[in-house]
Amino acid sequence: MDEILDGLTQIDCDILIIGGGTAGPMAALKAKKANPTANVVLLDKANVKRSGAISMGMDGLNNSVIPGYATPEQYTKEITIANDGICDQSAVYRYAEECFGIIQELDSFGIRFQKDQNGEYDVKKVHHIGTYVLPMPNGDTVKKALYRQLRKARINIINRFMATRLLTGEGRIAGAICVNTRTAEFLVVRAKAVIMGLGAAGRLGLPTSGYLMGTYENPTNSGEGYSMAYHAGAGLANLECYQINPLIKDYNGPACAYVAGPMGGYTANAQGERFIECDYWSGQMMQEFFDELQGGKGPVYLKLNHLAEETVAEIERVLHIVERPTRGHFHAGRGTDYRKDMIEMHISEIGFCSGHSASGVFVDKHARTTIPGLYAAGDMANVPHNYMLGAFTNGAFAGMDAAEFIKDVDHVAFDQGEVDAERTRVLAPTKRDDGIPPNQIEYKTRRLVNDYLQPPKVTAKMELAQRRFEEVRDDMNQAMYVQDSHELMRSLEASAIMDCADMAAAASLYRTESRWGLYHNRVEYERDDENWFCHTILTKGEDGKPSHAKRAVEDYKVEIDDDEKDAYSKQRVGATVAAE
Amino acid sequence: MNDLFEDFDDISELAEGLDDPSVGTRIMAVIELADNADPAAIPYLSKAITDEDAGVRKQAALALTNFDGPETAAALVSALKDSDSAVIEAATVSLKELKDPASGDAILPHLRDEDDIALTACLSGIKELRRTEAMGPAIEALQRASVDVRVQAVGVIGWLQDEGSLPALRSATKDQDVLVRRTALAALGFSKSEHAEATLIEGLSDPEWLAREAAAETLAKSGSAESISNLRAALQDDFWQVRLKAVRSLGKLGATEAAMEIGPMMDLPIPNLRKECAAVLGELAVQETLPFLQKYEDDADPDVRKNVRWALGKLAA
Amino acid sequence: MPLAQLQTTVPVIVDDDLCIADKGCTVCVDVCPLDVLRIAVKEDGTKTAYMKYDECWYCMPCETDCPTNAVTVNLPFLLK
Repeated sequence: MDEILDGLTQIDCDILIIGGGTAGPMAALKAKKANPTANVVLLDKANVKRSGAISMGMDGLNNSVIPGYATPEQYTKEITIANDGICDQSAVYRYAEECFGIIQELDSFGIRFQKDQNGEYDVKKVHHIGTYVLPMPNGDTVKKALYRQLRKARINIINRFMATRLLTGEGRIAGAICVNTRTAEFLVVRAKAVIMGLGAAGRLGLPTSGYLMGTYENPTNSGEGYSMAYHAGAGLANLECYQINPLIKDYNGPACAYVAGPMGGYTANAQGERFIECDYWSGQMMQEFFDELQGGKGPVYLKLNHLAEETVAEIERVLHIVERPTRGHFHAGRGTDYRKDMIEMHISEIGFCSGHSASGVFVDKHARTTIPGLYAAGDMANVPHNYMLGAFTNGAFAGMDAAEFIKDVDHVAFDQGEVDAERTRVLAPTKRDDGIPPNQIEYKTRRLVNDYLQPPKVTAKMELAQRRFEEVRDDMNQAMYVQDSHELMRSLEASAIMDCADMAAAASLYRTESRWGLYHNRVEYERDDENWFCHTILTKGEDGKPSHAKRAVEDYKVEIDDDEKDAYSKQRVGATVAAE
Repeated sequence: MNDLFEDFDDISELAEGLDDPSVGTRIMAVIELADNADPAAIPYLSKAITDEDAGVRKQAALALTNFDGPETAAALVSALKDSDSAVIEAATVSLKELKDPASGDAILPHLRDEDDIALTACLSGIKELRRTEAMGPAIEALQRASVDVRVQAVGVIGWLQDEGSLPALRSATKDQDVLVRRTALAALGFSKSEHAEATLIEGLSDPEWLAREAAAETLAKSGSAESISNLRAALQDDFWQVRLKAVRSLGKLGATEAAMEIGPMMDLPIPNLRKECAAVLGELAVQETLPFLQKYEDDADPDVRKNVRWALGKLAA
Repeated sequence: MPLAQLQTTVPVIVDDDLCIADKGCTVCVDVCPLDVLRIAVKEDGTKTAYMKYDECWYCMPCETDCPTNAVTVNLPFLLK
């Protein structure tokens, strides 16, 4: 295994789905259901059984819109406000209307959601206006249940192939070029439609531990989706709106305010006082977290030691079984007892992830990107505050729309020269006798991301970053060296990470205002609604470098009253006062 | 490149591995049979769950989560009598994953099992299948010595939502174990009967806070004047967890008469409770509570501050 | 620019006595999202799984899905 072989195979399918994590499997199932004769192929660089962000499971839904608990209007309003108004509501509203159907479908797959003692959904209140959190008692079985459905539906699954570039022709999608992660053999897939569900760019910043894979996101989500969309000419929206999350320091896993919050846990400063809202993650909240850490009132802690023994036991049960089960080992290793000790928290490295923010490949309410036949869903698509249920629901939208799309089209021709050029690019590190290993290229890129791109954002620093990135990119192109096909996969990831770092810098420099709290805190600029109440769309320019445009925010479907806007901005003023 | 796609193998061919002398080979055969998700594998896995090796039996019990129906359920129920606890544990987990009500056919005959562990597993397996035939055995199971059995039995009864089960549920709210009492109180939520409400009100005086908390929370589903006055009394509970649920329920019931009692609770030094009180004061929107809210408009606790300001907005509207 | 060897201690430990890789089991190798596990041939000619690449997210499918409980996931030293 892992030796580098020479090979190229070409196959045809109707719909190619890249990424078998969360959005991908749902897209595959929906496409197959809508069009049972369609040849649907689901491809993953890992094994679909355990791939993606929810590899080990998920402890609950953070954004379920269940009739009787919340309305699509409330939810849309909440998400619009949380994203400082930059939000195409039609996609959010459609999600809110249809996600309950997806919950019921997941339920029928055997993924259970917490019900009360009468078998009714047991929704916990977390968000202020509505009630959106639905715990999943057997959340550790999510992937198994999905896999079972894929097998039952006879979906064609290809494991251990990594897509590296999309193919286009006549202005629409034509397929993808892929490489085997264990043999380096190539696979060209011709497809009438392609759905991307490649997850977040989780390996953009470097975690404080310095361990390359000790990231907040599953590090297998290294940003290839963003990179491929970019090189194919698709538009990417608001990439300057980074993902930064509160987490358990060093462990780098979620502190799970959504689990502990409804049961009475909260984030506290060194004095044990609550200083941020626990209800909802937003850039504003992260700014307050950052200020507390920087302002001498830190360290910051997750506080559970005021809770009753029974409650702590329940929190432990949920947190230590599902999503990141090693969390329990971590605390045990350090002798941390939730009953006695507060748990040190920190903020994550930066990344792209619409799961918790608003950036990503631009899509409409059908999950269509700006390239006909190309779709994106889940953490890499720009429907804000998606979380897991958003990935499932928007994945479903993509699958259904793609099934329609392929009815009227045939495979489109692509330029064979692109395949040849991509083979040369991919294999270049295998053709050298020695050089720089991909982990060093990656480490340096990500260390520079931390040094120069982490907010607060400073123009001169970001411009320096661009120069440094250019140097590392040259080194990568001229001297990267791999010894086997596993390292070849890492070299391709390093290249995607480099693309994402470039895009993060370029997008952040373009938007000359501050917005989304810490996510896009540009110290030289105030918020500027007059000029920047818009999406920013990044595409690959003629010169091969990022090019930018503004795109108007869709007219609101759900109006935000002025007094509601005021209530929130008033709160911010108050928060600043409190921080002093 | 021959094996580009995941295989859909011939089930009987895969099953040949189950007869291999090597344990490892048999385990692999079980895993492959499960991955194919083809119901044709069920008879083979039902046989593998009686393998001489406990590791194979455990893997077979786990593998059956990929399937449903009476045959699957029967195999899992039989594994509850295994000599190896890991096998029993796996079968218990898999039983809970069943969705097809027909699977209950294989579980129903075992709802009077003498063995507590087997009975607990059968009750937890049948609960979500909502088979009405389970009611009788579940009510009988309330007499069993095992707390686990009784908790699961209450669960089965609660999910069936049958007013006829009220006497049994009400007596379970007097169980000697707090977990049973708590579960029974929560299970009363479906009932429209005044007896259920009376029982929940009695639950507010339970010696254990976990039970009082469940009673306070569940009373939100009822809502007569009687409930409201008792929830108001629960605002004085020694445990803030109980008070919090009482406040929440009073908010849901729109009990404006409680507003002036909730207002002063804003002064208590318990962040979670103050946060909830502020939200409920907003929901109730009683003008007289204005001073209690105004006092904390700039509270240092951001969650409290947020809810207070939201509530002030509601009062102004 | 020649390459140097850099030693690291890896977080995933496999108990050779329990591992059934020799019977064709590749469960842990298959389920790893980062593809860091491989099968090695031991001195006696039999096979066992081991962690080949130090790129672990300590996510646990290898430990959870192992049919013989042969795999233990520890936290990487740098962050434990």
